[in-house]
Amino acid sequence: MSVSLSRSSSSEREPCISRRMLLKGSAAAAVAAGMAALPSAYAAAVQPATAASGGPPGKGKVIDCHAHLTNRSRKTWEADDRKLIDAADKLGIDQVCCSTLTPHWPASLEGFRECNQWTADGMRRYPGRVLGYCYVNPGYNREALEEIRRYVGDHGFIGIKLYNEYTCTEPVVFPVVELAIELGVPILHHASHSHYFVEDQPRMSDGGHLAELARRYPEAMLICAHISGGGDWEWTIKALRHAPNVMLDTSGSVTDDGTVDMAAAVVGVDRLVFGCDSSMTAGVGKIRGANLSAQDKQKILGDNMMKLLQRRKA
Amino acid sequence: MIVDVNAYLGHFAFRRLRHNTAASLLTLMDAKGIDKAVVSSASAITYRNAQAGNEELAEQVRGHRDRLIPFAVINPFYAGWQDDLKICREEFGMTGLRLYPKWHNYQLSSACCREVVDAATEQGMVISIPIRVEDNRGRSWLLNIPDIPLDEIVELVKAHPKTRFILLNGLGYTGSPLGRKDNGLPSNYAIELSRLSAVLANELGQLIANLGAERIMFGTGMPFNYPDPALVKLEVLDASDADKEKIRSQNAMAWLRP
Repeated sequence: MSVSLSRSSSSEREPCISRRMLLKGSAAAAVAAGMAALPSAYAAAVQPATAASGGPPGKGKVIDCHAHLTNRSRKTWEADDRKLIDAADKLGIDQVCCSTLTPHWPASLEGFRECNQWTADGMRRYPGRVLGYCYVNPGYNREALEEIRRYVGDHGFIGIKLYNEYTCTEPVVFPVVELAIELGVPILHHASHSHYFVEDQPRMSDGGHLAELARRYPEAMLICAHISGGGDWEWTIKALRHAPNVMLDTSGSVTDDGTVDMAAAVVGVDRLVFGCDSSMTAGVGKIRGANLSAQDKQKILGDNMMKLLQRRKA
Repeated sequence: MIVDVNAYLGHFAFRRLRHNTAASLLTLMDAKGIDKAVVSSASAITYRNAQAGNEELAEQVRGHRDRLIPFAVINPFYAGWQDDLKICREEFGMTGLRLYPKWHNYQLSSACCREVVDAATEQGMVISIPIRVEDNRGRSWLLNIPDIPLDEIVELVKAHPKTRFILLNGLGYTGSPLGRKDNGLPSNYAIELSRLSAVLANELGQLIANLGAERIMFGTGMPFNYPDPALVKLEVLDASDADKEKIRSQNAMAWLRP
């Protein structure tokens, strides 16, 4: 291993994948120690990775922008959450931005409230490692907005997760977007584009919908989820070319060669954020395999997401 | 040494591939530290006459046989497959086949397919079967090709105990007899790792525990896929160095001797 990633606890295992391997020769450095001691989850999220490395502020963190904690209806949830952190350790991922989803959709009010409590608990169990997205069903208009204010405002969640209850261009979604703008936090929106009707997700959003929403709300920070999540990624990348306030999340199980390279060429590396969505080796491998400079890879791996998180309003 | 049992040359009808000539694939292999690769024609997946793809492949690998190991694509329902198989084995020196039952629209259980498998086995050839070519959610509007159900593979390996099969681009084996310990199946198949999880569910680790590292082979799916995700799996895998070496190259080399 060429470069080790030091962590807050010496008992944690060394990653199998060094940052140098991730960056293909970059000298970008390790993560700050002691993040767990910071006063709030949000402070942990934006703590630059400089203490151990001496590197420039805000450089060097690897942030998985799309992860999930396990719904506690699953008996193995605690071990599964631990496995996520263990996998992040092995792969050199410093922070995982997590939502907890309901097992069935559309999410009920009780369902997403429970999920957000579990996400908050996950942030407490893994301080500085797990960052929370507040998951809501926008159909519960007032309650959804209250939930966002509570968890983003009081619990230090870093953003909002929207799934497939509504297509993102439906007016019921707009108040959520307006609140995200008010709070200065991103929305990670589930999306995919297939050339057939996806019967079990009739209100699925795609890159075109997100581009339309972005034009309506140019101040919004939108993240188009998992461009490698199974749909036609070439279509998605092209659909988002002219939507500068939409970031593209590289997560998903598909490892098609050229995905990250095309995204970088069409929308630019400044609009790409690294993610796994539980496909951990796929997520890391795609970035490692892309024909980009170490500096550009570091932007994707963490710097771009860090910049988004730093735009949060007080 | 690293041997990739899941690589391709040529064009694919629905997406531009990079690194799809012998020269460019070898450059990629050098960059990634992959020493040898089993290659077949990507074009033959959608050519009506798959033999045209085999001929292109033979031309491409000429002069690179020390590193590129060509496998033929045979469609058992296309006229003249017996002649094609003979040419691929005897003239082109191909030591294995790849079968695409869903893309070429036949059943693995059909008499014609069984005949191809028997004929190839008699020639000492290995049969590799991609469970899928690409993720179906991104498919073209022109077609809808399902993955091969693992149950169909179970029947195939049972019916041909003397044949050596390499299963490519699959997952979910632990939910099938194929990935279970003491499954009563012949040990005549190996599983390639490109779509197996190596963390979280860690199907790769489970398969090593259930079947033994002798039954797992390294593969990437390049140039359809970035090779790096498969390489990362090897790096994070909790296994002994001896087992990793089997997976990296030894298992494949034991089966791929000319």
